[in-house]
Amino acid sequence: MNAKAMRARPSVLLLVAAAALSACATSPYKRAGNAGEVAAALARSQPAAPSPRSLVFLVLGGSAGQRVAAYDLATSRLVWTQPGEVTTRIEVGGDIIVHGAPAQPASGGLIVARDIGNGAVLWQHALLEKERLAGYDVDAHAVYVVIQTQGLTKRGTTGSVLALDPRTKAVLWRHELPTGHVAGPAVRGGLIAVPVDSQYVILLDRATGAELAQVLSTAEAATFVRALPEGMFYGSRGVFLLSAATARGSRESPGYLLAKLPPFVRPFYWYDLYRPEQTRYSAIDRNHILWRVSVEGERARFRDETVVIHDYRFLFGFDAASGALRWAYSHPSDAVASTDTGSVIAFVSTDGDIGALDRVTGARRYQARLSGEVVNAATFDADGFSPTLAGSESGAGAAPDLVATLGAIVADPDRRFPDMKLFAIEEIGRQPGREATGKLLEILGERGMTPLAAQKTSEALAARKDTQSADLLAAALRRHADYADDRTAPPVDFLARAVAALGAGGRSVTPELVAQLRLPETPTPAAAQIARALIATGGEEGIPALRDYLTMYRADPVHDADPSALIAVAEALIKLGGPADRRLLLFVAEEPHTVAPLRAHLVKALGETDPGAVTRTATRD
Amino acid sequence: MLVIRAATVVAFGLVLGAAAARAAETKPADAKPAAAGEAKPSKAKKTAKDKVAKDGLPAARLDAARAALVGDDDAAAIAAASSLGASGAANAAEPLAELLAVGTSPSRAEAVLDALAKLGAAGVLTAPRALDVVDLYCGHRAPEVRQRAIKALGTIKDPRVVPTLVARLGDVAPGVRAAAGEALAARKERAGTPRLFALVKRGDAGAASPLAALATPDLIPQIAELAGTVDDAVLATALGDYAQRSDVPDRQRLDVVRTIAKLSGAGATTALVEYVASVPAKEDRPSKREAQKLLDQRESAQ
Repeated sequence: MNAKAMRARPSVLLLVAAAALSACATSPYKRAGNAGEVAAALARSQPAAPSPRSLVFLVLGGSAGQRVAAYDLATSRLVWTQPGEVTTRIEVGGDIIVHGAPAQPASGGLIVARDIGNGAVLWQHALLEKERLAGYDVDAHAVYVVIQTQGLTKRGTTGSVLALDPRTKAVLWRHELPTGHVAGPAVRGGLIAVPVDSQYVILLDRATGAELAQVLSTAEAATFVRALPEGMFYGSRGVFLLSAATARGSRESPGYLLAKLPPFVRPFYWYDLYRPEQTRYSAIDRNHILWRVSVEGERARFRDETVVIHDYRFLFGFDAASGALRWAYSHPSDAVASTDTGSVIAFVSTDGDIGALDRVTGARRYQARLSGEVVNAATFDADGFSPTLAGSESGAGAAPDLVATLGAIVADPDRRFPDMKLFAIEEIGRQPGREATGKLLEILGERGMTPLAAQKTSEALAARKDTQSADLLAAALRRHADYADDRTAPPVDFLARAVAALGAGGRSVTPELVAQLRLPETPTPAAAQIARALIATGGEEGIPALRDYLTMYRADPVHDADPSALIAVAEALIKLGGPADRRLLLFVAEEPHTVAPLRAHLVKALGETDPGAVTRTATRD
Repeated sequence: MLVIRAATVVAFGLVLGAAAARAAETKPADAKPAAAGEAKPSKAKKTAKDKVAKDGLPAARLDAARAALVGDDDAAAIAAASSLGASGAANAAEPLAELLAVGTSPSRAEAVLDALAKLGAAGVLTAPRALDVVDLYCGHRAPEVRQRAIKALGTIKDPRVVPTLVARLGDVAPGVRAAAGEALAARKERAGTPRLFALVKRGDAGAASPLAALATPDLIPQIAELAGTVDDAVLATALGDYAQRSDVPDRQRLDVVRTIAKLSGAGATTALVEYVASVPAKEDRPSKREAQKLLDQRESAQ
């Protein structure tokens, strides 16, 4: 550092310090992370009694045009249908529902409130041209709308919360937020939570709009707030239970939740409320994590240690702590929406199937159908919905057969889910019993599998080491290609690998391995694998076939470039054969027409196993 | 010396699985006279050939052939194989089978199998000499080798060859399937008929003639019903060849000829032409007249 710089340094530090102090003095987030204030705000919060309703609001399309409808899950009937187009997601509270609708070009958005009883439009609220709708939530007292108002510059943009009377849309109060970087709100028990500036959540009094506390998320962004009967939550990559302990949220907090999930799962706990596109119904409604929480003071855990993954047509129940798959369900068509009612996973499909599965076992608990309708999207208002299946003693259908369901996922012609299919293969491999082995073999026999899927299946099969199912491997190997019967060959190399993994327990499969070795269509790599399998199982009965293979192809120039099969067969003869086989190998090693790589290998291998053998034979001959 | 080493290996029964071990067993007494129907040689040549067939080739010639077969010169090896095949001697199969048993390049294997097929056609290839080793090569990876092995196997008058011939009807290579079908047809072996029908159903041209040779009358309507689902040329071949069989009643021939006429394309015309040509000029049968009439109609329609 030169003298000039040295002289300059103290003044720079002073400037930085002054700026920092100045920022602290004017920061709108001075209260951020104040545990006492958060605790006080929560103490004032009185959660509303759970709604007795079990409704699902449907956004319908099809030839009858765009409509909104209410379906009563308890009575399995359509309550009302009204014409109308829905843009942003339906929210439910008190005796109204609220949704977005197409706005005039000169408006920043249009909010529509409907009577929950008949769907009639109660009022519409058009935003100004310079306003943008960040989001809204509803309770029995008001509709809370977060609005971003565009300024001349980005820094000039402001944010505010507007409380509208649910029946008249009269403005009850307006609260100016400290920033224009705002997201949609959530309301619970008189407390409104609004994420701002990515890391903060501002808590407002529902009655007055007064700011009560500020939460600072130090570990990860706070892109969502979510109100559930069991508590208010915020987070992004994981979930924080709002409490004094998470006023300054860190992942070490007892109120922090993060489920262990397989790689194919998109870790999406709730909508990113900063992103306008996520206020609309989209693919996210078909691909997300469903979760509920058991709360004990400031400690939270996923209810029943279970989280459920909704992935378009499929639902999976996972142990949240271990990531173990508990159940899987496959639906014939995409489920456009789903919810965890705390008891069941309820869903609606594009073609009008309405169903509910037990959240712990996956057993069917409810089914209904809205015939002839195209369902584009849906919002549930069915917390606590806990149906029992009619005609069933236990109140539920049989839990879905996990192996069968996973097998159906793998075999499904829908090509949108390659990673899920790989996951399903791995999961089948983890299931005990012959059924799983049989299913993996069935999958291997499918035509049109991707190479990666075939590889995964093979690995899963080998990893099982299921000696009790050696007969199934034998049966699979008995199949062979036949043009006349329009039959294709089984994946012999993969099957042989699985037999090899059984060790001595796979010896009963030797006749089938031998038969495959003798078939012309058995690929060269498979022949190598068969030889290795015979070594692993001790299948001495395969020696004649090994001899025939070696002699028939030892001089075939095809094996010059890749002698791996010949070498594997020779190795098998060395390990399994007797003195006669050793003399055969010596002959093959010396005969000049034998492909050079095999000769070289044999000279070395025979020398290593019995250094005097080559010399002795040469002398005798 | 390599040839001695190889022979020693075989003689000791060390090398081989069941196939090669049996190939090493030579039994000159199995030699049979050449099959009837071959081109007639001169009397002197025939006498010499008969003597060779009866007594076998001399040991010195066999040793020379062995040396050539395993030598470095591919052309010489192939010539030696060809010479052995042409000899008509039962013991000529011995060095040929030995070479297959100890293994050789595909090109030499093809020559050896051609030679064995020739010996088989001459009626001197017997099961003890060659069945196992030829059967083994019916499962060779190279289709050209398999095809030749099938031809050779088909000449061995032993029922044990039939399962392999029937199995190879399902081969992925059309040439191998066709060879298997022809071998079964030549043996009048009906065990493969259902599979030949399945092949024709899949439009496999190579199966048409063998199926025609083996089909029973009740199968013909089923073949005819395939019209519209398989290539007309394949059906025309099957039906046309069937019509040419001497054991078919002319009343059924008439139906077959009319069925062929309903098929389109040059294949159907060819089948009718060949059928008419196959009937001796002096012989007048209704099916021939009908075929000619249908041919005339096809010509005038064009």
